[in-house]
Amino acid sequence: MKRLLWVIAVLFVFTLLAVPVLAADTFDLVIPLPLTGKQAKFGEIMKRSYEMAAEEINAKGGVKGKKLALSFEDSAGKPETARAIVEKLIDVKKQPLIVGEYTSACAKAVAAVAEERKTPYLVVASADDAITKQNYKYVFRQNQVNDHYADAFTSFLKEVVKPKTIAILYESSAFGTSGSEAMERDAKKIGAQVVLNEKFETGAIDFKPLLSKVKAAQPEVIYSVSYANEAQLLMKQIKELRLDAKLFSGGAAGFAIPEFIEGAKDAAEYVVSATLWTTQLKYPGTKEFAEKYKAKYKDYPSYHGASAYAAVYVTADALKRAKDWTQDGIRDALKATDLKTAFGPVKFEDKEGYQNQNFAETLAIQVQKGEFETIWPKNHASKPYVYPVPSWKERR
Amino acid sequence: MSSVNLEVLLQTLISGVLLGGLYALIALGMTIIMGVMKIINLAHGELMMVGMYIAFVLFSWLHIDPYLSVFIAAPALFVLGVGLQKFLINPVMKVDAILPENQVILTVGIGMVLANLATIIFQSDYRQTPVSYATKAWYLTDLWKGAPLELSLSFPWSVSFTIAVLITACLWFFLAKTDTGKSIRATAQDLDAALLMGVNVERMRVITFGLGSALVGAAGCLFIPIYYIYPDIGGQFTLISFVITILGGLGSTVGAILGGLILGLFESLTATYIGMGWAPVGRFMIFVAVLIFIPGGVASLLRSRKFGK
Repeated sequence: MKRLLWVIAVLFVFTLLAVPVLAADTFDLVIPLPLTGKQAKFGEIMKRSYEMAAEEINAKGGVKGKKLALSFEDSAGKPETARAIVEKLIDVKKQPLIVGEYTSACAKAVAAVAEERKTPYLVVASADDAITKQNYKYVFRQNQVNDHYADAFTSFLKEVVKPKTIAILYESSAFGTSGSEAMERDAKKIGAQVVLNEKFETGAIDFKPLLSKVKAAQPEVIYSVSYANEAQLLMKQIKELRLDAKLFSGGAAGFAIPEFIEGAKDAAEYVVSATLWTTQLKYPGTKEFAEKYKAKYKDYPSYHGASAYAAVYVTADALKRAKDWTQDGIRDALKATDLKTAFGPVKFEDKEGYQNQNFAETLAIQVQKGEFETIWPKNHASKPYVYPVPSWKERR
Repeated sequence: MSSVNLEVLLQTLISGVLLGGLYALIALGMTIIMGVMKIINLAHGELMMVGMYIAFVLFSWLHIDPYLSVFIAAPALFVLGVGLQKFLINPVMKVDAILPENQVILTVGIGMVLANLATIIFQSDYRQTPVSYATKAWYLTDLWKGAPLELSLSFPWSVSFTIAVLITACLWFFLAKTDTGKSIRATAQDLDAALLMGVNVERMRVITFGLGSALVGAAGCLFIPIYYIYPDIGGQFTLISFVITILGGLGSTVGAILGGLILGLFESLTATYIGMGWAPVGRFMIFVAVLIFIPGGVASLLRSRKFGK
């Protein structure tokens, strides 16, 4: 018995010794993200993408001889949980860098903690304008902000469509309202008159009365902002009513996800939408990432995945260049980032009131033959755009 | 009135009637339960959700058309309703509780359990049944080349409406012509008298709850080709049927049918002429106005005309 205890004690001591030795071989990075709750789906896409990138980097020898060891903590999309996780990471685990989160509310909470503790934080997919507008020195954002989301779409309107009239339909949520306000401003800029600006309740069943009114107003462009379900119902009922316009369009979200085409089917054809990233982009690594992801998980990743994937490369790049792996060392390295990734070029700039913001190029996509095709800007186009779209009668 | 305005008006009325017919079917189930048991079944929308998920599962696994699922979902919901009444609600009715309406509170609990079970089984994803005829419609200009107006009639909406009308007719036949139906009506009109006349009141309650659930389950199948589904969808339909039940006059089937049509037309007209965002406000304005000005609902108006009171 005594002997057994000895053996255990010896083993225990060895384990204690072994841990720091192992740890010295890796750079541990704990990533907070939503793995349960409403945003779990996006959290999952991002987790898979983070892991794919880390595997690739480790297969090539890691960073300065050390392997990236990623692990994940579930914040369930709750700001208070995200905050607690990050406080623990910085104060207890002494992690010199924070990457992750998804919803804007969580990212805001994390950004405040990171800035307070002078720890660099890389925002991956949270769009609220305010996050990088608070004179934070340690907060970096890789994805485009809400305000610029529709840039490519607006330039498509300006250069190709040149509409005189436009109708805006939006969901009565914070997202829908801000989207409609942004479109109203853009419409003014390109000289289009907003003939109708109507909101509808989330969960509405029958849009036909509203759409009959749109039909009577005869706008050249119909622009809607909504999440997935209403986007599908709207297009289906537009088809049912044979409501014709020169262009049907949507402000990302519900209009730019595969479910839109699956649900609305042929009614989704020719609908144009803004988006941040597509699998057809000609950036180095984009196609490889998309195909690898699809082969493994049977579905193409969304921009969330691409941004997460690129974030690991941005992190590794900053770690490589950092003069030491302290908070300030990594911050300075991040600030000097100029990297081409599968998500697009990443460079953190201070302009238009934003700090450390990557002004990624946005895109316009159009549904053609049941697939999303990139149509704008021209240098990224995978297919030429179809404009004006054929009338419903001609489509049969 | 210009032809454009006329077209908008007619299209709005068509939408309103189709929507109203479907609303009426949802509310009928709640109404007959209300009539017999004198309680509002607040798990009504969740029962509809169960019906929708049955249709969804049958469609995605066995490729059964949602309209055919009516024949599976309605009996299934009948059994579920009977079970709920027999093993949960009836025992609670016998208990002396602090709260007078503890059965109503029980239905809230049942609704929550159903919604959470659905979340566990199906996740909170939004789902739908992509039927091939989802956007099919008939157009006036196709049928009549020289038509001055363009009106359209959606195929799935029309089918759903027609089936709703057929189900309502069957329900009327059942209540008016069969023994069980008459016993149910007797229980609804005067519980004590029905008891004295030898009606097995407890059994009628069980059958009524089953019937009410079956009706809303069928309504779920009719909704899924034109709508989508997620576990928490029940609440909005409970609310709609609650408003219609009040509007119709608490327990009157004719009142519920008229109430459904009124609400459907009202919502469509609001959407066209005021703004679609106002629909929820309008719904509750009706609700409050009915409670204040016609507390007996549409049914009381009908009665007072019939008997010349």
